[in-house]
Amino acid sequence: MAVLPEVNKRGFFEIRLESIGGLGANLAGKMLAEAGIVGADMDGVSFSSYGSEKKGSPVKAHIRFCEFGTPIRDTSPIEHPHVIGVFHENLLKSGAASGVLPGGIVLVNSARSALQVAEEAGLNGCRVAVLDATRIALEEKNRVNMAMLGGLFRTCGFLDPEFMKDVIAKSLGKKYPQAVEQAVRVFERGYTEIELLDMPAGRRESAVQTGESPLGYTNQPLGGMIVTPGSSLLKDLSISRSGMLPAFDQATCINCAQCDTACPDLCFVWEEQPDKRGRMQMVLQGIDYQYCKGCLKCVEACPTDSLSRMLEQEGYAAANRVRHRFDFAEA
Amino acid sequence: MAIDYSKEIPAGRVKQRMVYESGNEMAAYAAHQIDYHIMGYFPISPSTEVAQHLDLMKTEGKHGIRLVPSDGEHSSAGICYGASTGGGRVFNATSAQGYLYMMEQMPVQSGTRFPMVLNLVCRSVSGPLNIHGDHSDLYFALNTGWPILMCRDPQAVYDMNLMALKLAEDPEVRLPVMVAYDGYFTSHQKRRVQTFEDRADVLAFVGENPPEGFANALDRDNPITIGPYMNEPDYINNRYQLSQAMYRAEGVFERISAEYKKLTGRDYPVLDLYRMEDAEVAVFLMNSASETIKDVVDELRLQGIKAGAIAPNMIRPFPQRQIAEALKNVRAITVGDRADSCGAHGGNMLNEIKAALFTHGNRDTQVVGRVYGLGGKEFKAEDGRHFFELAIEAAGKRSVSVPFDFYGHTPGDPSKAPKRLLKPLNFDDLKTGLITVTPNAESGKLAVKIPPLRSLTKKPKRLAPGHGACPGCGIFSGLELFFKGIEGDIVTLFHTGCAMVTTTGYPHSSHKATYLHNLFQNGAATLSGLVEMFWERKRRGEFEGLGLREDFTFVMVTGDGGMDIGMGPAIGAALRGHRMIIVEYDNEGYMNTGAQLSYSTPLGHRTSTSGVGRAQQGKAFHHKDTAQIMAATGIPYVFTGSEAFPQDLVKKAAKAQWYAQNAGLVYGKILIACPLNWMSPDDQGANIVDAAVSSNFFPLYEVEQGITTITYNPEEKNKKVPVSDWLKRMGKTRHLLKPENEAALREFEREVELRWNRLKAKHEHPDL
Repeated sequence: MAVLPEVNKRGFFEIRLESIGGLGANLAGKMLAEAGIVGADMDGVSFSSYGSEKKGSPVKAHIRFCEFGTPIRDTSPIEHPHVIGVFHENLLKSGAASGVLPGGIVLVNSARSALQVAEEAGLNGCRVAVLDATRIALEEKNRVNMAMLGGLFRTCGFLDPEFMKDVIAKSLGKKYPQAVEQAVRVFERGYTEIELLDMPAGRRESAVQTGESPLGYTNQPLGGMIVTPGSSLLKDLSISRSGMLPAFDQATCINCAQCDTACPDLCFVWEEQPDKRGRMQMVLQGIDYQYCKGCLKCVEACPTDSLSRMLEQEGYAAANRVRHRFDFAEA
Repeated sequence: MAIDYSKEIPAGRVKQRMVYESGNEMAAYAAHQIDYHIMGYFPISPSTEVAQHLDLMKTEGKHGIRLVPSDGEHSSAGICYGASTGGGRVFNATSAQGYLYMMEQMPVQSGTRFPMVLNLVCRSVSGPLNIHGDHSDLYFALNTGWPILMCRDPQAVYDMNLMALKLAEDPEVRLPVMVAYDGYFTSHQKRRVQTFEDRADVLAFVGENPPEGFANALDRDNPITIGPYMNEPDYINNRYQLSQAMYRAEGVFERISAEYKKLTGRDYPVLDLYRMEDAEVAVFLMNSASETIKDVVDELRLQGIKAGAIAPNMIRPFPQRQIAEALKNVRAITVGDRADSCGAHGGNMLNEIKAALFTHGNRDTQVVGRVYGLGGKEFKAEDGRHFFELAIEAAGKRSVSVPFDFYGHTPGDPSKAPKRLLKPLNFDDLKTGLITVTPNAESGKLAVKIPPLRSLTKKPKRLAPGHGACPGCGIFSGLELFFKGIEGDIVTLFHTGCAMVTTTGYPHSSHKATYLHNLFQNGAATLSGLVEMFWERKRRGEFEGLGLREDFTFVMVTGDGGMDIGMGPAIGAALRGHRMIIVEYDNEGYMNTGAQLSYSTPLGHRTSTSGVGRAQQGKAFHHKDTAQIMAATGIPYVFTGSEAFPQDLVKKAAKAQWYAQNAGLVYGKILIACPLNWMSPDDQGANIVDAAVSSNFFPLYEVEQGITTITYNPEEKNKKVPVSDWLKRMGKTRHLLKPENEAALREFEREVELRWNRLKAKHEHPDL
């Protein structure tokens, strides 16, 4: 049986994975849990936070390891983990690293340095690890989760990477034997390519987020009715993109509206303008990237070169976003 | 992913094997070991996985259970009931609304005394819709005449499933038995679980076959009448028999669990008592929370407080005597109910425990009741501490200051009350005048003129952006394209499904105009009621001065799942001829619950309940032709459409609106892509549905006043592609192109060809 480096007062070493549906954190969590419990002969429990079965929305996976004989009774999500794996850097903004124990590890999928990530997210009193899992996955034509899994194994030294490679071979081998070698390589790269940094304790406490809503029993409209139609426009869905977005070139656009038909996320912004002969015509202004999930259906639909696929560069969407003009009610 | 771990434990007599699995996996695992005859099921979260795991095992040839995918829980309960009358073993799993939809059948099953085992994966009941865990479905089960076994963790799910069958079939009981475990907390959490290593040992325990001596419907030489018309004076005696059998179930369970303990070393008394020997304060909780509280008991004991916890392993029959015994010397107890019994001054467990104390002459123990943990709200150690504080306070004061309340509800911040964000849509923007629909004076058919798509971008979208659908989801491109053809105001009703869940996650809504949801067996009836209210209030002049410029167009939006479970009400609404549109987005499966097969899933397609493997190659029967079923009701307009042919769909929408405002019900089916579950690239949706149309799998046509017109004929346009050109584009169908599946592919092609030829005949002959 593996020896856990440290445990909390109830006897658990706890890991939380923060991700977006589609990046494979759920599967990574399962594999990590089985590597500990079955592979390293510990006891424990693992689960994911489930909603509806959607890609692109936040998911969490929770793993508790313990020694045999430790009563496993708590079914609630992990609030103070020893290790947090953040599969999408932007999740740090919504508190993905919250609650990490002093001296714990936050592993972030990022192309930036550990120091940059730590400073921007205000992480201190813990170890910050970064891994460019997205790049590894793109280079190896594999998935982010295998690289992250490699990184997580590195941060959990009590786990045996050889066992994991075996699990990968077994679980993929049945359906996709050709993918095994690739996945193992990505896992190994994740294991070796992480950058670790110790952040000294600072002033900011790593607080746990509470789920309390401003709407309660005194002010929630009766029957669960929503009296703010269209309010989903307040949401930012850019985090759903997995690296690609459509770029728009107005010069070559023929305003055929094929993109508008194809777009599932209602991102295209139009305006009525006079044409050369003074007739009013609808003209495509651009893309409201706040809502774009990067599916690229529009690029596929575009009959010209006006829409093209692009690897998302930091800041591009913000700089090139054309905002929808909503008909807001007066405040 | 099942990784087995072998480990002997010394306490039991049977050979055991350790697995690391979730509660749902364990229910399925037990069922496969028992090798039930029949499971008639319908997917609903969080119980769906049980059928999925059984399908997966079936795909690998690991059991012989006949898995029957039903068209809704009412049907699944019917399938199970019918099967149980036939003398074999029957199994099922459901949750929440699914259970409530079965409800009518539950007393039928118990009252006519046919055993089976139903797993209830406990979840909160709508509405508002919530898929997470509490016991509000379970509390509806209390009066159905089914013994109910409770499971605190995945190990108990396995153990109870084995004991439940034996209990159900016991000659002294002969009742269907429910096994209840907590949605997500237990159903989806993986734990180490000890199982019987050999199926032979399982069968030796439950019995190779059901006990003999009970009549069944398939015994030729002993014809019987099941379910008579029974009035006074006989009915009360049937009920008394049932009541007696129910109370006998307690003793029988104790006998069975004693035997089980000898075999496995695991003990399931009727009441699970934790440190209750000398407890002065206690907390009563059920299932997963009853484990959490044990940590709190240990903490309090360290502080010198004599705390204990009680959890029932069985709540029907209710262990009244044992509860009274356990509380004999307890000064105060807090009873947590994970569901309310609205208006009863306490949850069901609170009131039953009070009744137990009263009946057994205990007037001293103080009882505090709290409803907690609704709709998936966590129960944490700090909540357990609060429950003990309440009991300690009551013990000290010898009275209870607040005997019953909710716990965990929050008042909210009144300064943040919701305010309207957007102005109501401007009618003149919606009524563009760009689309004209004119009835032909002679034929009566409609002539439609639509502008280029570019002009229609001026019309506001009906939905606001920001919905949570997957990247590349075809639902909203399909629906918005359809709505481009609709002029003026709409009111929509969405069935439960992806479109509903992703657009109305509280407190946000993507719907700019009025929208309502109802559960997906009943949307057509619900909207038909609203339509009739509209016309009746209009007749009475009640809309004057309310800003209504023209009549609403009422649109019901459903997935193909909603047209399975809701087929009856949809046909009913069609036959009644309400002025409304039913538009179905068909993505060939129950995608919202994780891609189970629907009746619209084509032959051979892979879903999570029609797996592909050694013993099975995808779905076993052909796709439902919903458009033809609806056309047969004689409604004025039926259409099919796709975003790959936008002008065609916009025209059909315009016609649909005219018929729904002037003639009666309209039904339309739009084939839309689901990249996640079709296992196809996010950007390929339109191309895939284009191929579905061009291969004649999904012909574009309309049935207008009974006359069929094919609106796009790929053969005439020289665009016809082989069915395989469509199938090769999706991960869910690629196996069909392998040589070993050639027969299935041919059979599918034959069916596509047959339906296409029939459609062409109808197109050519107005009388068909």
